[in-house]
Amino acid sequence: MGKLVAYRLLFAVPQLLVISILVFSLTYLVPGSPAAAMLGTSATPEAIAHVEAQLGLDRPPLERFVEWFGALLTGDLGTSFRAGMPVTDLLAQRLPATLSVVVGGIVVALVLGVGAGVFTGTRPGTLADRLVTGGTVLGLAIPEFWLGLLLTTVFAVQLGWVPIVAWTPLTADPLAWLRGLVLPSLALGVTGGAIIARQTRAAMVTSMSAPYADTLTAAGVPRRTQIARYGVKNALVPVLASTGVTFAILIGVSFVVEKVFALPGLGSLMLTSVIGQDFPVVQGVVLVTATLVIVVNLVIDICYGLINPQARPQ
Amino acid sequence: MSNAVILDPADRSPAGAQARGVAQAWHRLRRQPSTLFAVVVVAVLVVVAVAAPLLAPYAPEATDFDAPLSGPTADHPLGTADLGQDLLSQLIYGARTALVVAGGSVLVAMLIGVPIGLVLGYKGGWYDRIGSRGLDIADALPGLMVGFVVIAILGRGMAVLVLAIGLVFCMNFARMTRAITLTERKKLYVESAHVSGLRERQIVFGQVLPNLAGPLAVQAAVFLGSAIKVEAALSFLGLGLGDDQPSWGGMLGVAAEHQADQPLMAVAPGIAILLTVLAFNLLGDGINDALSGRRTTGRRRTALLGRQRPPASPTLAEVRAAASAADGTADVAAVDAPPVATAPVGPGRAAADGDADDDRSDAAVLDVRDATIVADRPDGSTVTLVHGVSLRVRRGEILGLLGESGSGKSMLAKAVLGLLPPGVRLTGGSIRLNGTELAGCSERELRAVRGTGLGVVLQNPQANLSPVHTVGRQLVDVLRAHHPLSRRDARARAAELLDLVGVNDVQRRLDQYPYQFSGGMAQRVAIAIALAGEPDLLILDEATSALDVTTQSQVLDLVLDLRDRLGMAIVNITHDLGVAAETCDRVAVLYRGELVEVADVVDLFDRPQQPYTAALLAAHPTADADIDTHDTHHDSHHDSHHDAEVTA
Repeated sequence: MGKLVAYRLLFAVPQLLVISILVFSLTYLVPGSPAAAMLGTSATPEAIAHVEAQLGLDRPPLERFVEWFGALLTGDLGTSFRAGMPVTDLLAQRLPATLSVVVGGIVVALVLGVGAGVFTGTRPGTLADRLVTGGTVLGLAIPEFWLGLLLTTVFAVQLGWVPIVAWTPLTADPLAWLRGLVLPSLALGVTGGAIIARQTRAAMVTSMSAPYADTLTAAGVPRRTQIARYGVKNALVPVLASTGVTFAILIGVSFVVEKVFALPGLGSLMLTSVIGQDFPVVQGVVLVTATLVIVVNLVIDICYGLINPQARPQ
Repeated sequence: MSNAVILDPADRSPAGAQARGVAQAWHRLRRQPSTLFAVVVVAVLVVVAVAAPLLAPYAPEATDFDAPLSGPTADHPLGTADLGQDLLSQLIYGARTALVVAGGSVLVAMLIGVPIGLVLGYKGGWYDRIGSRGLDIADALPGLMVGFVVIAILGRGMAVLVLAIGLVFCMNFARMTRAITLTERKKLYVESAHVSGLRERQIVFGQVLPNLAGPLAVQAAVFLGSAIKVEAALSFLGLGLGDDQPSWGGMLGVAAEHQADQPLMAVAPGIAILLTVLAFNLLGDGINDALSGRRTTGRRRTALLGRQRPPASPTLAEVRAAASAADGTADVAAVDAPPVATAPVGPGRAAADGDADDDRSDAAVLDVRDATIVADRPDGSTVTLVHGVSLRVRRGEILGLLGESGSGKSMLAKAVLGLLPPGVRLTGGSIRLNGTELAGCSERELRAVRGTGLGVVLQNPQANLSPVHTVGRQLVDVLRAHHPLSRRDARARAAELLDLVGVNDVQRRLDQYPYQFSGGMAQRVAIAIALAGEPDLLILDEATSALDVTTQSQVLDLVLDLRDRLGMAIVNITHDLGVAAETCDRVAVLYRGELVEVADVVDLFDRPQQPYTAALLAAHPTADADIDTHDTHHDSHHDSHHDAEVTA
């Protein structure tokens, strides 16, 4: 197992390096001068020159990259042009809300997806299967932020069951934190749940009709044990893969859903930075989310190795 | 935000979407109600988008300061926005925005992704290694993030939005194109095109692209839906088109601000997005089914037809006729005889094997009478796979069930086990195990005999065991299904079982996974699993067919040894005359679902009574010759097997 972790980490490092090069080169893709773009049309040449110097655009790219990358390794992502604060501090403020809602969304997606997938995959072709599978088709199509809008309208505005502005930091009040996360997690998790459900269903059908299922059935292993122990574990291999994909999708979508629930996450930070062309912050947000996706996929690959012995390097 | 994952990789396999299939595909498309619904929704959407100026009662941006946020009224059926803009008109013009942006971005995604995929898939080598690694790295960027970054760099606007969303999806197109190109390139026809001197560009455009068309159409339809979701999300955030451009996402953005006072504002645009995305997804599924369904239904039909009427093989009556015409030994009356309903048809054999006796002897572990198995066909008719077969197996006896592929021997075994695949049924006869009727038993009743009454070993050694569980775990679970054992005791018993089937170093082996076992060893484990419940009857369904000859003989020796030690009855299903000769006491020959002959093994091989049996033996000269001269010389593996059996 240690070998698998080491091997996988070894792959993650160049991945992070390439991503950081991409993120770094982002400012060079801006047509004209990024400083001028940031400052707007009324900027004086002196102000533009000042910002260019601040961004290091007056020096050779390679020299700047080495400097930027060195700072990155010490956790320094530069200074937000708009907020005048270190980007790292801004990200640290916003990360808890984003992480909370994304983890909540993944939990909802896994519970709904694996539940529906096992349910339908063990009774393919029945009416119940067709109804639930039809539901997943709907789940794939529904816009998450619209679902969030409906949920807040019904449960927060009309019924008043949860506060409209729901975010409470975990450290302040764990129970209120959890309560506030219910609706955003539901809104975020439904599409992921539909993706996972479809994968789980297919994997369950395959697993339950595989020769080893016949061997176990014929040997007298009860169907319930077979589903719970053999069906699900064999089905988990493809399910894990779709969970990795789902996680990346959920982070992106959380940036949109966040607005519906007024969550103070990375999404609203990204939104103001995109509109304000605050490139250091945009770079920071992209780096953080990419790192999150890479780390989660690393964990998933390690889980994959735990489940599937053949995936472990020998 | 991509929905790419809803397509199974297998579904994306080249559908061979040649032009000749298009008419057929369209025909099938029309018979799927969900696809028809999708086509109608998309058609309505296109009409609405094109005819927006004619359909919309107001200009979408026209303000009416007398009636802001009016809610549904006679003038404004869906109400108005915060500056009094008519929501119905915005909804209608929003369809235009959605289709143009989604269509444009999917086009951009294809224009970028398909060439990348073609180059990686076609060039292979370093291009592919570096390129694919690049695609993997791009996976770490959530799709929407790419959109954000593009808009941050280039600002808002139609072209930027199309490019931003197109970049979100281009990697998916690249990946799919690469995979298909790779498989197409390997196909023989591309090789032959090389030989005939076609230029590479012609190969790519003339041969690979046509095969890509089907899967690309499926992907494009699905991504049109996804692109509409992304467009709505970006517009909702205010990053889409300008604020004066009507879009469904933008409408929802306004609705979000007026959740408390005008909750209904969010309903119509949301449903519009939902229906549109749903329609494109269903359209993708429909095209996929239409392209691939042609092959699967066709294959299933030929498979079923094949069982009923194999084109190349003659009927039983024809075999008899041919044989009698050739040497006149067969009973002439049998030539036109109806399908044989009872087991022994060979003259003089009924007394020998006793299967025709009406009293059910207690000695019979398995007693099958007149078993008839049919398969349902898609058109509602049925195909008979096994015609009224009767068999019995006594304690300590090994009955061989011999027949070519499709003779119904495995279906008969599956019927005994209650494991018939969906659509295949036992329609007549009785199957008794130790006097207990199994035909028509519920799953619950069957579970009572599975493992303890009967056990089975199937053909493929590796696939018979769950790949993600240790061998010990599987044995323990089977043991605990039958006996109230503690984990420790079950493991000790599992070790005994492995030892019994001749696996060495059992404590280490228990903690290993099936892939760490050779085929023969895996099959020994499968036998141990089948024996865990101490069954009275063991069914070997081509259990040694996948093994090499030496391993096969070792496993068969084990089976013989286990029979001697445990005294159970064994049914050994095989198409291999050598295996039957080596292991069986009696052999039943099946041909196209009918029982041809049952006889003691020596009699059957020495003096086949039925022409089909004779033909079968004649087709296997070593086995035939060897039985006659089994104690004189042996020059093949099969020969030595026969020796072991016949002299045993």
